[in-house]
Amino acid sequence: MEEKHKMGIFSTLISVVIAFAIVLVLFYGLNHLIMGMQGLPLNVDLTPAG
Amino acid sequence: MMHSKFAKLFPMSLLLMLLFLGITAPVQATDPGTGSVADRIAPVGQVQLTGEPPLETESEVAAVEESVEPRAAPTPSRSDYPDIGVSSRAIVWVLAQLHLFFGALVLAVPLFVLIIELVGLFTGDERYDDMAHEFMKISLTGFSITAILGGSLALVLFLLYPDFMAYMMRVFGAQWLVYAGLFFFESFFLYTYYYGWNAFRYGNRKWVHLSLGLMLNASGLTIMVLANSWATFMMAPSGVNEVGAVVGNIWEVMKGPLWNPINLHRFIANIAFGGAVVGAYAAFKFLSSSDPEKRAHYDWMGYTSNFIAILAFLPLPFAGYWLMAEIYAYSQQMGITAMGGILAWLFIVQAVLIGTILLAGNFYLWAGMSRTDGSERYKWLVKFIALVLVVTFLIWVTPHSLILSASEISQLGGSHHHILGPLGIMPAKNIAVNLMLIVTFLSFQLYRRSDKVATVRWAPAGNALMVAIYVVAIANIIFLGVYYGYFTNTVYKVGSSVAQVASTLVVIISGIVIDTLMFRNAKILPSHWGRIPDRAQYALFALPIAFTWLMGLMGYVRSSVKTHWHVYTVMKDNSPDNFIPTIAYAGNMITIVTVLFLLCVLFMFWVANLSGTRQVKPAAEGGAA
Amino acid sequence: MKVLFKTLGFSLGLTLVFTLVTYLLPQMKGEAPVEKQVDLGSLTMDDFVALGEDLFNNKGTCTLCHKPPPLGRAPDIQGENMVALSAKRLADERYQGEAKDAAGYIMESMLDPSRYVVATWGKKGSNDSESPMPVIDKAPIQLSSMEMDAITAYLQAKDGNEVTVALPTAEAAAEVSAAPAGGSASAPAPAATADEAMAKYACLSCHAMDSKDALVGPGLVDVGGRLTPEEIRQSILDPNAVMVEGFPPAMPADFGTKMTVNELQMIVSFLAEKKG
Repeated sequence: MEEKHKMGIFSTLISVVIAFAIVLVLFYGLNHLIMGMQGLPLNVDLTPAG
Repeated sequence: MMHSKFAKLFPMSLLLMLLFLGITAPVQATDPGTGSVADRIAPVGQVQLTGEPPLETESEVAAVEESVEPRAAPTPSRSDYPDIGVSSRAIVWVLAQLHLFFGALVLAVPLFVLIIELVGLFTGDERYDDMAHEFMKISLTGFSITAILGGSLALVLFLLYPDFMAYMMRVFGAQWLVYAGLFFFESFFLYTYYYGWNAFRYGNRKWVHLSLGLMLNASGLTIMVLANSWATFMMAPSGVNEVGAVVGNIWEVMKGPLWNPINLHRFIANIAFGGAVVGAYAAFKFLSSSDPEKRAHYDWMGYTSNFIAILAFLPLPFAGYWLMAEIYAYSQQMGITAMGGILAWLFIVQAVLIGTILLAGNFYLWAGMSRTDGSERYKWLVKFIALVLVVTFLIWVTPHSLILSASEISQLGGSHHHILGPLGIMPAKNIAVNLMLIVTFLSFQLYRRSDKVATVRWAPAGNALMVAIYVVAIANIIFLGVYYGYFTNTVYKVGSSVAQVASTLVVIISGIVIDTLMFRNAKILPSHWGRIPDRAQYALFALPIAFTWLMGLMGYVRSSVKTHWHVYTVMKDNSPDNFIPTIAYAGNMITIVTVLFLLCVLFMFWVANLSGTRQVKPAAEGGAA
Repeated sequence: MKVLFKTLGFSLGLTLVFTLVTYLLPQMKGEAPVEKQVDLGSLTMDDFVALGEDLFNNKGTCTLCHKPPPLGRAPDIQGENMVALSAKRLADERYQGEAKDAAGYIMESMLDPSRYVVATWGKKGSNDSESPMPVIDKAPIQLSSMEMDAITAYLQAKDGNEVTVALPTAEAAAEVSAAPAGGSASAPAPAATADEAMAKYACLSCHAMDSKDALVGPGLVDVGGRLTPEEIRQSILDPNAVMVEGFPPAMPADFGTKMTVNELQMIVSFLAEKKG
């Protein structure tokens, strides 16, 4: 039972971390896309390019 | 039902609707550019040299010259404006604003009524159909009130602004007739849709009924876009030259830079407004009933109305932003007059009103959570949402471009407050408004979830994803606003607001998608319609009052932003009222029209109820004769 | 009934809260520009400069955009020494206009703002090639040449520089005041360019300028090659004298009384250049 419980927390943590990772990438890409579409390119660190 | 042969009527009606919209396009003003030259001038194509006797075509010459000479806009002097002893502008203001209130209402109601009727059809639940029917019933009188106000408005405009109206008639030509003709169609579809409700209830006839509703909406929408073109022409004229002579066809006159932004903005705003007004009806009936079944019914009706109002309200700031952007693009001067000049304070009042709307809408959702036991799990979030709403509202209300006297500047220590100043500019306000919309959607989402328990296996992952989306979106909006708003140049600052909006939309869309998928075959917890504190119903009154007042305020902006012009840059306003009134004066006018609207709506609801009552025949106890 | 009173009371109360908010704000009235009588006989240069300052702050609506940073959406010309600044601008390699001195530069900025756009102030996306500034002698601002001279004088005088514009003369004033009585500056001032004149007299309503297409009248893209300037002048002043075959006698015959000599000359010169 305890094993399962520990595993449960671990898997929740994993899923949260993975979820955040995916979403961060998603919004990072969104920023580049939306700013780029308007003719406002960004550098990799999201500072204005050019 | 889907395959009945009369279901073909539905797409056919769609085609008819497109036809209606197409009618407005080819109506041409006097455009002499068609047909071959020879055909056109055959009767008069003769060469006349000096010294020769004049030709007999004198009168035809005069006629042709008359019809093709392009006339500039009139330039009335002050004495040309009729004076009936009362401010002409005030009279037109009251009638026009009331007409717009009711116009918005009667355009909006059939729209969501049709959708609710469709929902009823697809779910098989007749209660939706009955509610749709009831919404139509309570707004029916509104159509004739709209017409009365519109007719009075037209008469008053012709009486008090004859030169302006003569010009508008000339510019829009036959489009006025199209507008008038559409009312025949709208009335036909209104009466058949409403009175035929029970006659066309099931099977193929239901599709006939839905088609009638669709055509009602089509004619209403066309009426609105035609009328919008007059207002947008006055703000940003197109199809005329510098002195106002018509040089384009009717399509060019109508399709100015502001036409579509106004069409979209008014379309969405009408829906929000309509939902709010019928919500007040539901709230009133809820409070007046003691029968638990009736209370349950009106509680559900109120919830639906609030749902419609808030749902339509969420995209509205974006439509408004587009409109302002087009105004700035058309004339920076007009844009600055609106938001950086004399009318700037008005947008602070707008912030107060929108704050009221969002707070009321959210409050109603939180109060509604008491309908379900399953809402207990989410109650802890409410105070955080409330905190965010209050803080963002205060940021939004913070003014920036203050018009200060020299002594005030020295007192303040500069042209802006050194702490609050940075909060008053657009980057901070964009953060504020996007966060307000996100937490409002969160209230929504929590409410929708509170009577369900997910049974899909991936629910924990789905929730993790949802939480991540909220957190990252909020962080992104703040990052975009702070970094690009304060540390980069103007172009990036303005562009970042689009990314903020996109982030908000990601939250809303993903929230809807994830919830739809995650709560498939969910376990439904009991919910008790009618179990909501009475005070929550007042939120359903706050909504339409704030909406109505806001509409009145925006009407003041729309008119004032033209400064002293009837038609901006083309026809000057020389009337005694050609100044922009103070905001207190506008406040009084707006309150007057709001109160009048309130009274008319009360009448409208009362008449609807009246038609359902029947006086009991008195017992004949020596009371004869 | 009790419900009606409570809900009505609440609604009215909330409405009054909103009204109260509007009372608390600074009250401003946006007056329309009013006709002002200027006695040219007794007008001194100081008066003229003061007039210019008044125009700058009011009728000209200049301060809507020309404000000190960070508020301004246009350069802060009240805060800068305009004569020195004009010299710098004229010397800029990007300058492609026709002005030769400060007064000319200021006037050109008003009549054709996009001629030279100060760096970073151009319309977004136009790379400083398009100015967001409206043309000042056109609606909605529509200042007369006298008024623009006054503003120029003000902009020169305010920093102690020499004023190089002349005081307005009675003839120029007579033209402006010949506008219909009772109106404000509602009658269009004399056109300053051929384009303006043609817009004023609505030539484009009947004649295509860039093609041979016949609208009501013949296309004029090659009229300079077909007719001499004298013939063009006659066509405008006395349209029915010689008419192109196949066209209705629809051209207005009263341009002679309506146009100023200058406007007619500009149109004729413009058309004489159009050789297709």
